[in-house]
Amino acid sequence: MDTAVPYRLKASGVSKSYGAIRALADVDIELMPGEVMALLGENGAGKSTFVKLLSGLITPDEGTIAIDGDEVQLATVNASQAAGIAVVQQEFSTVGTLSVAENLVLGQRGARWWWSPRRLNASARAILGRVGLEDLDPGRLIETLSVAEMQLVEIARVLAKDARIVIFDEPTAALSDAEIERVLGVVKRLAAEGRSIIYVTHRLGEVFEIADTVVIFRNGRSQPAQKVTDLTVDKVVTSMIGRELGDLYPDRSAGFGEIVLEARDLQVAGLRGDVNLTVRRGEILGLTGQLGSGTTEIMKALAGTGDVFAGTIELDGTPVALRGRREGIESGVAYCSPDRKKDGIFAGVSIRRNLSSPWLNRVAPLGFISRRRESAEALRTATHFAIDANRMGTPVGNLSGGNQQKVAVGKWLGIQPKVLLVEEPTRGVDVGARAEIYAQLRQLCDSGVGVIVSSSDTNEVLGLSDTVTTYYRGAQTASRSANAWSESELVREVMHREEETR
Amino acid sequence: MTTTPTTTTTSTIFQERAGFRQAMNRVRNAALPLLILAVYIIASIAVPQFLTFETIRAILLATSVTGIIAAGMTAITLSGNLFSLGVTASVVLSAVIYLAVGSATGNIYLGALAAILAALVIGLGQGYIVGLGLNPVVVTLGAGAIIYGATAIITGGEVVAARTNTLGVFATFAVLGIPLPVIVLIVFTAVAWFLTDYTRIGRNIRLLGSNKETARNSGISPMGSTIWAFLAFSVGIGVAAVLQAAQTLQVQADNFPELTMNVVAAVLVGGTAVTGGDGSPVRSVIGALFIATITQIMVLVGIPQGTRYFALGVVVVALVVILHLLRKASSR
Repeated sequence: MDTAVPYRLKASGVSKSYGAIRALADVDIELMPGEVMALLGENGAGKSTFVKLLSGLITPDEGTIAIDGDEVQLATVNASQAAGIAVVQQEFSTVGTLSVAENLVLGQRGARWWWSPRRLNASARAILGRVGLEDLDPGRLIETLSVAEMQLVEIARVLAKDARIVIFDEPTAALSDAEIERVLGVVKRLAAEGRSIIYVTHRLGEVFEIADTVVIFRNGRSQPAQKVTDLTVDKVVTSMIGRELGDLYPDRSAGFGEIVLEARDLQVAGLRGDVNLTVRRGEILGLTGQLGSGTTEIMKALAGTGDVFAGTIELDGTPVALRGRREGIESGVAYCSPDRKKDGIFAGVSIRRNLSSPWLNRVAPLGFISRRRESAEALRTATHFAIDANRMGTPVGNLSGGNQQKVAVGKWLGIQPKVLLVEEPTRGVDVGARAEIYAQLRQLCDSGVGVIVSSSDTNEVLGLSDTVTTYYRGAQTASRSANAWSESELVREVMHREEETR
Repeated sequence: MTTTPTTTTTSTIFQERAGFRQAMNRVRNAALPLLILAVYIIASIAVPQFLTFETIRAILLATSVTGIIAAGMTAITLSGNLFSLGVTASVVLSAVIYLAVGSATGNIYLGALAAILAALVIGLGQGYIVGLGLNPVVVTLGAGAIIYGATAIITGGEVVAARTNTLGVFATFAVLGIPLPVIVLIVFTAVAWFLTDYTRIGRNIRLLGSNKETARNSGISPMGSTIWAFLAFSVGIGVAAVLQAAQTLQVQADNFPELTMNVVAAVLVGGTAVTGGDGSPVRSVIGALFIATITQIMVLVGIPQGTRYFALGVVVVALVVILHLLRKASSR
């Protein structure tokens, strides 16, 4: 097909829709051999959809993908691998209870069916050498390695496939500075060998260190590739934030009342510094940071399910000991998890019973459920949260993402919460329902509930919150009134270029 | 999920799908009772001695033991903890205790109380261990082996027999011609149904089985609900053991080998989801009735034991597969 330029990978006019939502629209990518291309964009901009497409997990609705001039169909993961594409995922695919060597060698395409231990280790050592792990004993179990070593083994595993195109999906999210250096070194070495690299990241510092070109995704569209030497951090940030704050978000708070929740010198597992934060009545506090920033751990600690070593949490000026969700709920702390399917809703259970699950004791005197009161209370929440009152008996799993999220948040209304903690309030929720959820959160806040929202979507945090606090790799980096942030400042703070561009 | 460009198509698609789901649900709910009805009609025509007082009485007595245990077991299955595989051993131990204590004191109520208490203690221990997060199959299988061993040691492998026939009153007593075990079965089932559907404990057990992590985040204690489920099961074990011992008036460590599988089969045939969250003790009892009926018919027709087990197994597996497919269709 293409003859003039020997592109390693050429995607033309690639589109993918989920129902009415266009996840990818007319994406064009041209990647040369030995090129490192960074993919940037906000959450939901289409980066991960594009990566899924290349890994053969989904197929495009339109458009073509060509590798070394030949058009390819990446209908399955096997097809993608056969075409020479390898993906280093965020989640580890290694088996913890097997040795490094076994993980590297076994299960590869075309592997022998029998290995002597010596041959296994020798073969593994050769692969490990390519990711700078010459000194690692191939006989060690994966689960005894550090996170960085696991990440490198993960990369080594991908290298064993001898891929022409290697895709990295946020490989450094959980690593420390020195460890990141090792990973970046490996990426550079791979590119020097002539492999093409697609590097998905949220960290701008890394982009300027290793990338040749940058492609920015916005609302499912790819911007034309730019040479990294022509770019500045400001230019990148400006082209990333296409969205206006607009009408999606309700008006900010008119004024704050007294402090509802105060955390002092909280030491939480996974965070580097002490956590200090306060929420006042009528305030939405937004916490934001990328993967591994520590916001999830803070929310868990406040909910009562995290590992807290020291410090105090006060609700309405009274210290509380939150040893579990039961204590959290009794103290008036509502908590919506970031992954509602996993631990936010009961998918097979009706809307009504989902809604009543945290406050069943209120409609069950002496333990006997009054179905009349349960229905009435649940209906009140449903009306309040714009949940279809005719479908109270429908299993929540049958609802759209937006309605599921309304149930996941709405069920807490009935405990009359003092504080509402919401992680990723609109993940997998369409635009219409997002506006409704924002309005509900603001309304709850106006009625006197302290609201803490944590989200990796900077636009959302800025649009919804009154105060925005940023976290970066386990420590708080800034806290200001939302009016004092511009979105580009916030994006930059979260990606934290000052520390990273060395 | 249901986002399509125009609202009209969305709602029609949704209604169609909802209608299909409802229809599937109705089929699923009605399938077993209709099947039992069909079996009774066919059997009463084809099998001469089927529609006699003696046969029906035998079916109901058999149902009472498996049904009561199955109703209790449903709590464990609903809580997402699969099954207890130590049914036989627990029933034997409780039966031994009923016969021993009842014979020694001459008081059948004291004997029954001791049997139920013993079952509760055993169930509490298993519930606690499973509540810690250990695999229920492994725990109950292991506990079953321990209980069996302990019973065999205590009894020396000998038959434990009732010293007086008064210990059989629980089986022979009848109200208006209805044997006491059948009345106990009905009362037990009704109570189990009420507890599962109308109390907080029952609801929390269901929610735990539906999604353990969400339950935890909603303030439901997995440990507490698991223990309650095992206690409900244990009451069933104790009561059923007393009724069984009253019928046979003697018991030996290796009695009732088929009981565990029959109870599990009753729960499954009843249509309670193995994964937890969805089901009902009433349906498990209907499942037990089905199994007792099929077994009794095969006995009447003179089918040898091996063939009976084989045929029953095939029927149970086929039904469970069909119910599973119906459930999938109705939850799409």
